[in-house]
Amino acid sequence: MAATESKRSSYFMITPMALVFTVFLVVPLLTIIVVSFWDYDEYRILPDFIFENYRYLLGSPVTWKIYLNTFKYAALTWLFTLLIGFTVAYFLAFHIRSLTWQIVLFMVCTIPFWTSNIIRMISWIPFLGRNGLLNQALMGMGLTDAPLEFLLFSDFAVILADVHLYTLFMVVPIFNSMMRIDRALIEAARDAGAGAWNTLRHVVIPLSKPGIAIGSIFVITVVMGDFITVRLMSGGQSASVGLQISNEIGLLQYPAAAASAVVLLLTVLLIVAALLRLVDIRKEL
Amino acid sequence: MAINREKRPLSFYFLAAFFALFVLFLYGPMLTIFILSFQGPRGGLTFPMNGFSVHWFGNLFEQQAVGDFGGSFLRSLKLGLIVMVVTVVVSFMAGLAFRRRFYGDSIVFYLAIASLIVPSILISLGIGLLFNIVQIQPNWFTSALGAHLTWTFPFGLLIMFAVFNRFDRSYEEAARDLGASPWQTIQYVVLPMVAPSLIGVAMFSFTLSYDEFARTLMTAGALNTLPLEIYGMTTNVTTPVLYALGTVTTGFSFVVIAVALGTLVILRRRGAK
Amino acid sequence: MTTENTKPAKTALIDKDVTRRGFVKGAAATAGVAIGSGAITGFPTIWAQNIKDVTLRQFGTGVSNINAVADKVKEDLGFTLQMTALDSDAVAQRAVTQPNSFDIADIEYWICKKVFPSGTLQPMDTTKLSNYDKITPIFINGKLTPESVIAQGTAPHTVGFVESADSVEFAAEPTQWMTLIPTIYNADTLGIRPDLIGRPISSWTELLNPEFKGKASILNIPSIGIMDAAMVCEAMGEITYGDKGNMTVEEIDKTMAIMIEAKQAGQFRAFWKSFDESVNLMASGEVVIQSMWSPAVAAVRSKGIDCIYQPLKEGSRAWGGGIGLAKHLSGLELDAAYEYIDWYLSGWVGAYLNRQGYYSAAPSTAKNFMSEDEWGFWMEGKPAQGDILSPDGNIMEKAGAVRDGGSFEARMGSVACWNSVMDENRHMVRKWNEFIAA
Repeated sequence: MAATESKRSSYFMITPMALVFTVFLVVPLLTIIVVSFWDYDEYRILPDFIFENYRYLLGSPVTWKIYLNTFKYAALTWLFTLLIGFTVAYFLAFHIRSLTWQIVLFMVCTIPFWTSNIIRMISWIPFLGRNGLLNQALMGMGLTDAPLEFLLFSDFAVILADVHLYTLFMVVPIFNSMMRIDRALIEAARDAGAGAWNTLRHVVIPLSKPGIAIGSIFVITVVMGDFITVRLMSGGQSASVGLQISNEIGLLQYPAAAASAVVLLLTVLLIVAALLRLVDIRKEL
Repeated sequence: MAINREKRPLSFYFLAAFFALFVLFLYGPMLTIFILSFQGPRGGLTFPMNGFSVHWFGNLFEQQAVGDFGGSFLRSLKLGLIVMVVTVVVSFMAGLAFRRRFYGDSIVFYLAIASLIVPSILISLGIGLLFNIVQIQPNWFTSALGAHLTWTFPFGLLIMFAVFNRFDRSYEEAARDLGASPWQTIQYVVLPMVAPSLIGVAMFSFTLSYDEFARTLMTAGALNTLPLEIYGMTTNVTTPVLYALGTVTTGFSFVVIAVALGTLVILRRRGAK
Repeated sequence: MTTENTKPAKTALIDKDVTRRGFVKGAAATAGVAIGSGAITGFPTIWAQNIKDVTLRQFGTGVSNINAVADKVKEDLGFTLQMTALDSDAVAQRAVTQPNSFDIADIEYWICKKVFPSGTLQPMDTTKLSNYDKITPIFINGKLTPESVIAQGTAPHTVGFVESADSVEFAAEPTQWMTLIPTIYNADTLGIRPDLIGRPISSWTELLNPEFKGKASILNIPSIGIMDAAMVCEAMGEITYGDKGNMTVEEIDKTMAIMIEAKQAGQFRAFWKSFDESVNLMASGEVVIQSMWSPAVAAVRSKGIDCIYQPLKEGSRAWGGGIGLAKHLSGLELDAAYEYIDWYLSGWVGAYLNRQGYYSAAPSTAKNFMSEDEWGFWMEGKPAQGDILSPDGNIMEKAGAVRDGGSFEARMGSVACWNSVMDENRHMVRKWNEFIAA
């Protein structure tokens, strides 16, 4: 009796969340899939069942180029956020010993996130530009004679902004994993004569894997779908999958955008499925 | 405790320096914003400085040539607060539900994960198309709210998982043994214990919603939220008023975070008593 | 803040209110029009008391969605105009996909060509507009003067009229039913930094001149960018177009091949999509020559930086915008909208737009709201007698300055092409995307 009662309350408790996911996630995604088979002209979407959108998308060399470019952004951003994020998380987890300080330092890292991403992105421009702060500083110190052009409106700028925006999303889950490593294990490793490096390699890194996987999933999916960073930081000179979709939306080519979206979704799901093989998220939380 | 007495190893100083650099990296662009927001009345969005004034802070509160900062700020604030409250309540409920297995639990769980990884622009496109096809007018408090919730729920749920996985059930059992009803148990035992995490969920969801751009793009309807307005502004504003806005929001953030931290400290003190 | 949001819920309430008492109001308004048309000022012609409750929601690009206009509407006409500024992609998108989210659409003519056939707008009865005959002939028959040659592209008059009140087919000749009432237009050309270039520039070819490698920019709005690209290719003598505003597949491919080659050679520093980007690129010295819009040049100049809106021998690329009525408008709101449109043509806004470097669709009415010196500087290409002020009172040009490109006739008379939508639009966009990804 009590069991069915509690089961019923479980259903009651989960209904709001399930409902929101159904209406605002499942149905919209189904809509995208349906629309990706529709036709369109300059201003309308026309219900139909054609493969033209996919045929063009998959047949065009541009698509492959764009995907390659997007993978490049995702891979490099992932690498840098991982290196930086791991180091920062390690510092916070193992060298900061009071919870209050950990919270305070986290807050310090979070505050910039409350200023609009867009404003934070465009503020790199006066910093990195031809006559920007950095170039003036470099030339002032006599390190370079001419302004460095690659700093802005380049792949460098895109990845810099991505790393800037998303490293924190790597720090949090890795930190979370690290906090749950039993400190006795590290003591034991040290007592067994392992140096700091070996302890890191054989104890800390393996036990932080879940956090690394979660952080990676997050960073990679965000960068794969990003369009605004690429547009602003590359000076509109590079393309990414997200940017292509946003352009198609802008030009009212919804079915084409939907087809691109479906392909992107499948790509992201494949990547995530691969990453999930490394970790059972639900157990690791 | 012995560890605490240990001398700081050399690596501490290296890592501390690295952390300091990381913070500098996070705040560096903020610094550019901060400096440039004090441009003179004829100043632009880039260096060099063209005089020095607080002109743009005053300008921020005046009517701009186009657009409406005030209205969109209030809209974003309201939306953020609604998202925050809904996320806290619904995530807490879902967290409680997930403490037992029930039919379909893994479906909801994977939906949450999917919601987290589906690129934002797809959510925006999907909801936009859906509303368009069924001929419902998108609005910031309907479609955009839904789009934001698909973003904040997964975080809320995952945080609740982390909390409840480590939750000591013996307190609840004790409460029940003392004759507390399920609701009383939640109210007087569970809720106070998870309150700090709920504050975390609240802050997190507010932050995510307040700054959400891609998901709002096609779902906001006729009136802009602040990020959309800022984006729109970049199509026609060439003055440092955008930077003044950045400086003001950062200042505002410091205040809000100080308040939140204060609340946390007070709650902890109470818990300690 | 007149643009402060009234919640849509409130607007919906008004809607209901209007339909409930619609008949009475309609009758009152008709009477009002009858009385009003005889009034000295021409407006306001609606005497219904509840005009103050009307809120019209207008959206469009930031170019003309100016809060000052909303304030003046409140002052002159008494009702509330709610403005939303968007970029041109978003404008087209909202006009087609969210027809109930606006009452008045402020769009460009090339967007109109896409949007109007979707049936979300209603044509306007020109007989209800007392200022209709003040509209410049560019928007009626396409000719600035009777001798003018009609430029290539989507010339506004070709999408300016439809056959009847419920038609979505564009009419070949002017009719009583106008799709958009023209408000604003201009002739665009390249903007340059004379201080960083140091020699005269006179042709579109300079955009791809290797001399400016890594210092050039073009705008990344496909339908407009392709035109600038075509102006360049034609000037270089590489391609001769049948109609730059409606290229063939082959012409598109050739044009984009030239652009891709230039891009890969590192000609461009960046592509811009929004107004501020073009200003910042120019002001910061990242770029010395680029596609540009007139007020962007003014914005660079107002920062004390030398910038010229360079007239070029091959002519310029023109664009025009206008306001249209949403299909769902009726009753009192429709009357208010007509009122607003007639007011728009009556001169105050025209003068405001002229002072920003755009042109008013009804120059003769705008003249009444401008000083002789202002009119001479902006419209007649005469040297300024005193300082020329922007609408918000800042000094834009010092006494003695002459406008780049000269008089209205000289500038609008040298239009080579109008912004347009091509029949091969889909192909063009795909090619453009290749260019961006190259």
